[in-house]
Amino acid sequence: MTPIAGSVALNLAFGCSILSIITLFFYNRTADHRLFLTGQRLGLAVSFFVFIATFVLSYQLLISNFDIDYVARYTSFETPTIYKISALWAGQSGSLLFWLFILSIFNTITIIQNQSKHHTLMPWVIITMSVTQGFFLILTNFITNPFEPTQTDFIVENGNGLNPLLQNVTMAIHPPMLYLGYVGFTVPFAFAFSALVNKDTGVLWIRSIRRWTLVTWLFLSIGIILGGWWAYQELGWGGYWAWDPVENASFMPWLTATAFLHSIIIQEKKDMLRIWNMVLIILTFSLCIFGTFLTRSGVMSSVHSFTESSLGPVFLIFVFIILICSFGLMYFRIEDLRSPRKIESVTSRESGFLFNNLIFVVICFAVFWGTLFPVISEAITGNKISVGPPFFNQINIPIGLALLALTGIGPLLAWKGTSNQKLIQKFTFPTFLSLLSAAVFIFFKMTGYVVISFSLCVFVFAAIFSEFAKGIQARTSKFGESTLLAFYKMIHKNRSRYGGYIVHLGIVLMFIGFTGHAFDKEKEFGIKVGESEKVANYNFQLTRMFEEERPNHYAWISDLRVTDNNGNFITNLRPEKRVYFHRNPDVNKRQPHSELDIFSTLNKDIYSIFSSVSNDNNTAFIKIMVNPLVKWVWIGGYILAFGTVIALWPRKD
Amino acid sequence: MNNKIYSLITGIVVVILFWIGWVSLNPADKKAMAQFISVKDLVDENISKRTKLGGLVKNGSIEISEANQLDCIFILKEGENELAVNYNKTRPDLFKDGAEVIVTGEYLNGVFYADELQTKCASRYEGDLRNESNYNLEEIDT
Repeated sequence: MTPIAGSVALNLAFGCSILSIITLFFYNRTADHRLFLTGQRLGLAVSFFVFIATFVLSYQLLISNFDIDYVARYTSFETPTIYKISALWAGQSGSLLFWLFILSIFNTITIIQNQSKHHTLMPWVIITMSVTQGFFLILTNFITNPFEPTQTDFIVENGNGLNPLLQNVTMAIHPPMLYLGYVGFTVPFAFAFSALVNKDTGVLWIRSIRRWTLVTWLFLSIGIILGGWWAYQELGWGGYWAWDPVENASFMPWLTATAFLHSIIIQEKKDMLRIWNMVLIILTFSLCIFGTFLTRSGVMSSVHSFTESSLGPVFLIFVFIILICSFGLMYFRIEDLRSPRKIESVTSRESGFLFNNLIFVVICFAVFWGTLFPVISEAITGNKISVGPPFFNQINIPIGLALLALTGIGPLLAWKGTSNQKLIQKFTFPTFLSLLSAAVFIFFKMTGYVVISFSLCVFVFAAIFSEFAKGIQARTSKFGESTLLAFYKMIHKNRSRYGGYIVHLGIVLMFIGFTGHAFDKEKEFGIKVGESEKVANYNFQLTRMFEEERPNHYAWISDLRVTDNNGNFITNLRPEKRVYFHRNPDVNKRQPHSELDIFSTLNKDIYSIFSSVSNDNNTAFIKIMVNPLVKWVWIGGYILAFGTVIALWPRKD
Repeated sequence: MNNKIYSLITGIVVVILFWIGWVSLNPADKKAMAQFISVKDLVDENISKRTKLGGLVKNGSIEISEANQLDCIFILKEGENELAVNYNKTRPDLFKDGAEVIVTGEYLNGVFYADELQTKCASRYEGDLRNESNYNLEEIDT
């Protein structure tokens, strides 16, 4: 397979996407079924050519063909095979091709899945997806082509190799997960757009995309959590979320998508909130593209940013086109979008969902506001002011806690409205438990947001528990089943509801982990062999420091013996300071890397970083962080994924 | 939607927007905000409030204290303008001569005291291509 095959495949894909759009457009005018079939097949052809291009680039990466600039920049002969594959999404042009590749998979699945369904919706679904593919094909064909030949005045004998920080399994998985999330929202958006064009904004399009949206949301959630986990394990700043513009870029569509997942339940069950759902899916898709713009434009100073490129304006134009076309169409379809039914009571489950939606969107706005604050402040005052984590935390903590409270309140409310008697009956147990726990937390000298957060976690947990208990009790008394069987059958019969509750449980556990951040302690110090240093009730003794040359790096290794205040042994930590490419005569090409060592328990993490070593090799400079409850963030993430899979699991019928 | 819910939603939105506006004007933590500024403007106007600067680490300018290896001074180069920066925390792995950095801190008596130092993310590292002179690195003795 020669590289030229990749370029030609991308050209052909672009041609087919234009033909597919034109053909389906004329089908909508003429209703000639042959045109529909042609357009559909052209849509499949686009995907086919994109697959070929992706496989050609992957193959060139695997065989280390350094005649291609991209291959030479991101791989070398020494790069392990798995990272030669992950190099596909390590750089600008390759990652755009990878975006396109995933979109083409989704395009193919959507077309095949709906071959004999949704005849009115499908033409515009394919058109919308082809337009999106066409946009990415413009980028990869004309602006940043991954098959660009190497242009140097010497023969490239070996490539740069993939950055050591990226040579990590999590980092190989994290971007594809995020991409699956970002790209996946093209499908629900395409259905929504088609529903608008066809004036069919009832429940049909919602039913077609509910499961799809949930899968996409799961990928996006996993992508975000994995990114945090990787940063925590690899980057050595002891945190997992920094409110960096690029992190925010993935969080914003997650927020609107979560709101959308909740509110489509209302449309599906009650045919309400049609306009709201349309707005949410348009926002979600636009934010996905906007996120890609933020990453690639260089407009925001982010540690994640790609090299500044000419891609920014192109993405921004595409976002504007999406917004203008979608909201413009909504304006013309406003009569069709008016829901036939209205929410009747503040204490109904419908309004619970609505308030939860509101909070999600408001948090999204706050994050958007903070992310674009430098641009906004410059436009208004002439001064470019950037905001950091304290700003985001100050704004979002109270709003996030309100959301946590609603996570507990919502499921306790009844459809249409809840009587006062029912309110008292349902809320007494969780409220009592929550207040009792608050008293206990205050007794243990906790204050402010920490008490509120922990007691709200108790409230939500109690609310979920009482929902499960009520369901089990109903089955045991009605069918005489054992508790365990009733528990199993209850979930089995209503997977989306109880899967949702399990997701909520995961969120509660994550909130416990977030709240633990309030108790973080850290210290940086220089230490000689035999000396000790105390950090947050732990003693750290440097027992040994030695050096080792390994196949691809040189390492300084420190052995730290950790004991508690009473001298009880806790663990040994062995953080390392490494230098990759250490034999390179050009000092600037050598790359230092801190290999952390973390002792992780349910209660707290002891996090050690070997910052540097003195010139006489006698003193190690160490950073220690004691981070309580971090593990609950990852456990919560697992439970969230597990709950989503339960909600997704297909029914036999 | 009945009027009660409509009023409640409007009320919540107004309160939250007010809250966002309030925090934007009066952040509780002084580290919440920093003004992006050029080295030239910072020095000319002698601004002492919290600011953010971007630039390159001048080649050969990094000086690390022997007594405390965390303590470091380097020259930040932004075009023709240069400024001494002091930073005494764990340095990011990608911090070195020529690295593109963003520093946040305060300017005092000709020195910028940074408490945050970020280097461009490794994931987007797009270095020069290797030629034959540094090919086969494992065999070149240092």
